[in-house]
Amino acid sequence: MVKADGSLDNASFAVEARQLSRDYVSSKRSHLVGKKKTTVIRALDHVDFEIQEGELFGLLGPNGAGKTTTVKILCTLLEPTGGRAFVKGYDVVKDAARVRKIVNMVAGGERMLYYRLTGRENLKYFAELYDVPKREIVSRVNTLLELVGLSERADDEVEKYSKGMKQRLQICRGLINDPEVLFLDEPTLGLDVNIAKDLRKFIREKIVEEQGKTVLLTTHYMYEAEELCDRVGFINKGKLIAVGRSDELKRKLPTGFSIEVLVTRLTDEALDDLKQIEPVKKVLTTAFEGEVEGEKIDRLIVNVSSDSAVSDVLNCLSAQRCRVVSVNIRGPTLEDLFMFFTGE
Amino acid sequence: MFWRVVAAEIDKNLKQFFFTSRIVFWTLALPLGNGLYLYFLYLPFAAKSVSLEFNASWYTLDLVGFTLIGQLLYTFFTMMLLAGTIFERDREQGTLEALLLSPANRLAIILGAALASALNYVWFLFGILLSWVAFLGVKIIISDFLALFASVVLSYVAMVTIGMCFEAFVIYSRRGVMFATLMQEPVMFFSGLAFPLQAMPRTLLSISYLIPLTFGLLSLRLTLLGGATLPDVAVPLMILSLMSVVFLLLATWLIDYAERNAKKKATLTQF
Repeated sequence: MVKADGSLDNASFAVEARQLSRDYVSSKRSHLVGKKKTTVIRALDHVDFEIQEGELFGLLGPNGAGKTTTVKILCTLLEPTGGRAFVKGYDVVKDAARVRKIVNMVAGGERMLYYRLTGRENLKYFAELYDVPKREIVSRVNTLLELVGLSERADDEVEKYSKGMKQRLQICRGLINDPEVLFLDEPTLGLDVNIAKDLRKFIREKIVEEQGKTVLLTTHYMYEAEELCDRVGFINKGKLIAVGRSDELKRKLPTGFSIEVLVTRLTDEALDDLKQIEPVKKVLTTAFEGEVEGEKIDRLIVNVSSDSAVSDVLNCLSAQRCRVVSVNIRGPTLEDLFMFFTGE
Repeated sequence: MFWRVVAAEIDKNLKQFFFTSRIVFWTLALPLGNGLYLYFLYLPFAAKSVSLEFNASWYTLDLVGFTLIGQLLYTFFTMMLLAGTIFERDREQGTLEALLLSPANRLAIILGAALASALNYVWFLFGILLSWVAFLGVKIIISDFLALFASVVLSYVAMVTIGMCFEAFVIYSRRGVMFATLMQEPVMFFSGLAFPLQAMPRTLLSISYLIPLTFGLLSLRLTLLGGATLPDVAVPLMILSLMSVVFLLLATWLIDYAERNAKKKATLTQF
């Protein structure tokens, strides 16, 4: 398990990545008989990390950062172009067959299920593929369906399921072989708030705490990782830029806290003026979907070193005729951390 | 473990294929119409009877039965060619990842998928056969049931192994349907499906003898309609057995190669 200081104890790791790299090569002709143009995209760039047994590790980063590539390599669906990776000590390339027996993966979105089969038929089919003992299949399928609350709809075709139900069934599929290591690749993608919240609770309480499984969760929802993970790793443009417990990482932030301001009529001049205020260390604007009285809302995150800056920030915005919709003063979040580490 | 995976794969594919009763009806009705079309197309230009090629030129068969067997086996062959589309569907709906994530034997998965396609076909094969006997008066002359059984089984096995090669090819190429469609017309022409191979120029016959369907057609026509015995069909049956072994070995190699290559090139989950 993870020690209080954020370091890992000496027990063998459930997952290890050593200098893991992956390049994607694509060739394209400009026209039918044109010369082929080859492009190489480095999706993973010498990534190193390890996950302890029974740990819930979060791999965080924006879309295209390399999260899914990492997961695919670790569960043997993709070969690395450099470096090595191990699951429970088995090399994911050389011992792929052994790795497949002890891992499973759940991906976000509506994939990895047969829509014309019922939920129960899907699970039975995958149980056969994983060589679950015949006498255990029925009870295991029933237990899993019960666990995710799908027992009543188990005999309906999956195409009749809602998105949330499909995702819960996917979790069952991921647990059908009782894996020692479970990879969850954006498991709450596209789910509404309440269902995503329930799913997160299920992952933490049932999969990690009750069943003691090792989980690697990838997400670009920072609050999700904050709520769930023992440790997190930030990945951006294929590089792992920081790994640790979130409270440990937060201490690395140079500023004490953040002021989150929802504002309309935000101008570049206002942003420039904000940066001139003495205790302000960093000003970031992030996307916010919403309008007030027909005006688009912008979300400002201002990292400050002193609480005296709050009134200065608000005065500055007011002087620039910006309309403040709400103000929230808070400690640093993983999102702040990510922006700090990536500068984005 | 191997046969459990095969059985699970057959069960899954049959459930997916026959998911409505309309599918059951149309898979029965469409080949029948196509067979009638072939029969009436050739009827005005041919004698009522045709003689066979290869080592069986002394047999003369009724044209109706001749085209019927051609139609039945060709439909089967096409279904096996299209068996690869099972994996294209898997790829598109994201289930190919889930399949290949599992430790299940790849050959078992592919064999299961090919057998499911074969079973889709077999259930209505006898229905068509009976309706042709009843409505078009096909004369069934069976002298040696063992020869008929061997002809059916070996034709079936040879074509299932070809289907397996195509499925493995789909994992590799992502162009299964296009390739299968491209194959259909030449196979139809060269195999002697609708006309006797005696009509084919000698130079083109060598291509015909590379296609297992040619030998399947020959042995089934002889044993089902011509009353041939096992020694009469020994040569085509031996060739079918040899082809089955070759295609099975090729499928095994291709599956392994295809998966390794797809993992390297990251094409496993693209479509």
